[in-house]
Amino acid sequence: MYRSLGFLSFFLRRLTGVALVLYLATHMWVIGSAMQGPEAFDARLAMVQTPFFKLAEIALLAAVWFHAFDGVRLILVNWFRITSFRASLLYAAVVMTGLLTIVGGVPILLFILEG
Amino acid sequence: MRLFQLQRLSAVALVIFLTLHMIVLHYPPFHVDFSRVIDRMAQPIWKAIDIAFLLAVLVHALAGSYAVLTDLQVVSRLRKGLAWTAIVVGLVGFVYGAMTILAFQRPS
Repeated sequence: MYRSLGFLSFFLRRLTGVALVLYLATHMWVIGSAMQGPEAFDARLAMVQTPFFKLAEIALLAAVWFHAFDGVRLILVNWFRITSFRASLLYAAVVMTGLLTIVGGVPILLFILEG
Repeated sequence: MRLFQLQRLSAVALVIFLTLHMIVLHYPPFHVDFSRVIDRMAQPIWKAIDIAFLLAVLVHALAGSYAVLTDLQVVSRLRKGLAWTAIVVGLVGFVYGAMTILAFQRPS
């Protein structure tokens, strides 16, 4: 039972990790415009503050939460050798990801709707 | 220190830095521009925190990318070259990121 769940966790952790590395490169490019002055910074930042990118931020939030919670789960399992809790901790990580994505995503959606 | 230990250590640091980053910069969501960011970034302590955050992010991202890539059979033969590439990318990223953080100065 855990073998398939373990693979799913491994696959999703890597998938979100790769997505976050790609995001990091883009994020550094956007914020790096600060070296060209406030106007350049505001102009580049405005490019990524559209409703499309705000919606993408919710997906980013979900990726960050899953990667973080699953990573913490892995650390806990390895450091404290609690392998019998691997599956239940994975379920907890998924539930926490869902809850915190809603908690973080709803204000973003409201922000988009308020314009 | 082994690579996976480095990645786990940076992961623990990231949990702290990222939580702080999300609270001060993204919640509640607001329109971000230079004038809002500079209020925080003008303080040297935030510059120091962000540089430490940058270091943890780069170590974690590059160690993770190295692990993902070396799992691929085609790339696994090029471990040494890949490790040096990661080190160079990390150094360039750190210098670029640190210069960005230090560039946040109140316009005179």
